[in-house]
Amino acid sequence: MIRTACILLAIATLAHSAPLKFAETLREVHAPADVKTVTTDFTFTNRSNKPVTISRYESACSCMKVEISDAKLRYAPGESGTIRAEFDMGNFSGEVDKTIAIWLEGDPKDKPSITLTARVHIPVIVNIEPKTVKWPLNGKANPQIISITMKDTKPVRITKVSSSSENFRHELKTVTDGKSYELVVTPLDLSAPTLAIFRIETDCTLSKHKTQQVFAVVR
Amino acid sequence: MRTGLQLAIIATISLAAAGLTYLVKGPPTRSHLCDPATRKADEICLSEITKPIGILWVDARSRTAWQKNGLPEAILWNLDPAEDMQAFEANNAEKIASAQKIIVYCGDENCGISRQVAERIRKLDLGLQVLVLNGGWRALKEAGRVKD
Repeated sequence: MIRTACILLAIATLAHSAPLKFAETLREVHAPADVKTVTTDFTFTNRSNKPVTISRYESACSCMKVEISDAKLRYAPGESGTIRAEFDMGNFSGEVDKTIAIWLEGDPKDKPSITLTARVHIPVIVNIEPKTVKWPLNGKANPQIISITMKDTKPVRITKVSSSSENFRHELKTVTDGKSYELVVTPLDLSAPTLAIFRIETDCTLSKHKTQQVFAVVR
Repeated sequence: MRTGLQLAIIATISLAAAGLTYLVKGPPTRSHLCDPATRKADEICLSEITKPIGILWVDARSRTAWQKNGLPEAILWNLDPAEDMQAFEANNAEKIASAQKIIVYCGDENCGISRQVAERIRKLDLGLQVLVLNGGWRALKEAGRVKD
């Protein structure tokens, strides 16, 4: 009886495991800073003993085009295929995950059995730390420093810094020309909540890295 | 042979029980359930939101979906490359800074975008608490907060 139960358990386990086996469900993609589109392939094989049909696939973002090799949706046992995803990266930099949900025939409408993720890494050319400087209400108006470091191989210079609020004084200091800068921000009045946006313009040739913004908050 | 017979008996009993349950109770409901005890640390269940004051809702779905059936008070902040990420930051900085709690939702528990948007908002270091709504828009729909 125990042996029978074990066999049943094994059958149940096999029945519930996804029949399409992907070489990777998470693909790490390292793209250059000026990337516009990223393409990555997810290869799979039908490891079950019956044909498998991909009934639906969709991306959470309209920026992604998904193609299945030769538009083929039904795979015989042992047969392999490829899902190719092409993402429009727009003005992204840093790390971003793009996912594709795959429904196989028989999957519940709201529960795809496979989720594929492409993790795209795009170099940050203008690195800013911290992104926000803060002061407590009625505290001390000490100056705070925002460090701006250029990560490009070529020099990137700051051409202009503008503020949305007159409640903050700011001064840009060059640490190393084309490489490293400091933005010193000092609040003038700490008696009321204030928020300022500083726009930092650079001569970076890549448009998506050209303008940055940081925040100053009195709360 | 004995094993095969036992297997057949167990399978028959199981199938009969499953069929009877289906006939009596109907098909299984697939409503979204969120358990505050088991949800992830950066998530919140809709049932845990007892005081709606000071909450900034962030819709991480597409602009079309946000306009069609998002929470009326929600702001849009997604990862669509057609959108201007700096405009999201600049236009919403004041709201984020003054909110007690920021709750991000996307389509459902499978979409994954809300967690990325929450991380981006968190990195701005403007808001007090940035959380992801467990179950996303689907949970809001099941609670009658939004309509399809």
